Amino acid sequence: MPGYTAINAKMLQVDIAPGREAYSRRGAMLAYTGHVDFAPTATAGQGIGGALGRAVAGEREAMMHVTGHGTVLFGRGGLETHVVELRGDTLFVEADRLLVHDASLQTGTMFMGEQGGLRGVVRGAVTGQGLFTTTLTGHGSVAVLAHGGVLELPIRPDRPVHVDPQAYVAHRGDVENRLATAAGLRDLVGRGSGEAFQLRLSGTGSVFVQASEEKI
Amino acid sequence: MSTPTFSAATLPANDNVSSYAFGVELNGGRWFAQKGKMIAYYGQISFEALSAGPLDSLVASHFHSPLYAHDWIVASGSGKLLLADRGFDVNSFDLDDGNLTIRAGNLLAFEPGLELKQSIIPGFLTLLGTGRFVAASNGPVHFVEPPIRVDPQALLGWADCPSPCHHYDHSYMRGALGTARMLTGLGGQSGEEHQFDFTGRGTVLMQSSETVAADGGLLRQIEGQLGLLGTSGLQRLHQTIGARLQAERD
Repeated sequence: MPGYTAINAKMLQVDIAPGREAYSRRGAMLAYTGHVDFAPTATAGQGIGGALGRAVAGEREAMMHVTGHGTVLFGRGGLETHVVELRGDTLFVEADRLLVHDASLQTGTMFMGEQGGLRGVVRGAVTGQGLFTTTLTGHGSVAVLAHGGVLELPIRPDRPVHVDPQAYVAHRGDVENRLATAAGLRDLVGRGSGEAFQLRLSGTGSVFVQASEEKI
Repeated sequence: MSTPTFSAATLPANDNVSSYAFGVELNGGRWFAQKGKMIAYYGQISFEALSAGPLDSLVASHFHSPLYAHDWIVASGSGKLLLADRGFDVNSFDLDDGNLTIRAGNLLAFEPGLELKQSIIPGFLTLLGTGRFVAASNGPVHFVEPPIRVDPQALLGWADCPSPCHHYDHSYMRGALGTARMLTGLGGQSGEEHQFDFTGRGTVLMQSSETVAADGGLLRQIEGQLGLLGTSGLQRLHQTIGARLQAERD
């Protein structure tokens, strides 16, 4: 179901119909045709408990529920958009990178500690991702925002991928994500390479990387 | 990908040099250009403010917008001129006895074959006549046909359409939940309550993002009318601006 069509690198067309509704960032609609309603939502399909959890976790971006029948164009802040198709697997992404996703996807919030325990917490703190991340599971499409184009790098058990934390956008699949430090004596005296911290992703899946080190 | 090196002879004339820069060839002719959008030129070109004496008749017949007169200059002479705007995509469009309305901040330059007038919609300028103009947009321009409703900030302009009207949508404020939402303010706003509604025949131009080019003219227009508001009006405006700033930060 090609519901999401890229008009250009920064603009995305989404067909909305009964049974094919979406959640999107508030204010990210550029234009629409047909009868489409935009209602602010605090829960974004997670229920009250999920909404509270997200609020506590700080993984809460203002979202809106897009319903009705028509075609909507989405875009935000001149950032590139990238569509990820989920087929029963899970996408791990920061809430502030979400542009729009199918309402049929299950959203959740995951504690970084679940991935790597204390190390995960340290990773969240060092990379500025925070202690929580958003998960999307099911069958459907997700559009994420990135500064610069997005590359999808495959991760295989024998081929882990190292990513600059600032360039990391999202990842999917059965992936272990931990912080790798290459910090040495030179970093302490201010003569480091500037690449002291990397994310090391290993397992089976893929990671999405933006062609820029600018966080959004 | 290799970047070609241009000389005065090979620089594209009246065509895009790259997605982000446009070359204009002047052979004794004149072009209107927005201030600060010229990045380089070859040849003998002079840039004069619209108030310059020799330009009087040209300005009187082709530039009917005192509000924006400060932001525009006339380039004359012979040579080649490069136009660009903050890394935005730059495109040229030809009008043949046509009309096109465009966001004032995004219009970079136009030929004197065209006449410039202020649109009824604040912040927009209308070009009439035959000739070429150059405009900038954040991301490529997307053309759509009515009926469509466009976010005011994503709207770049429109051609041959009747003027747009405002469309307001607060449907989620209806019903029991909606009333509770309106009374308590819980749940916030969707940020999509207001669009420009286009109907009829024509073409609507959109840019891919809601990043708006700074528009000095619109600001001056609003500032000029502040005196009419009175104290209560100013206080109200202060609140609105606060809420708007908050929304922009989110």
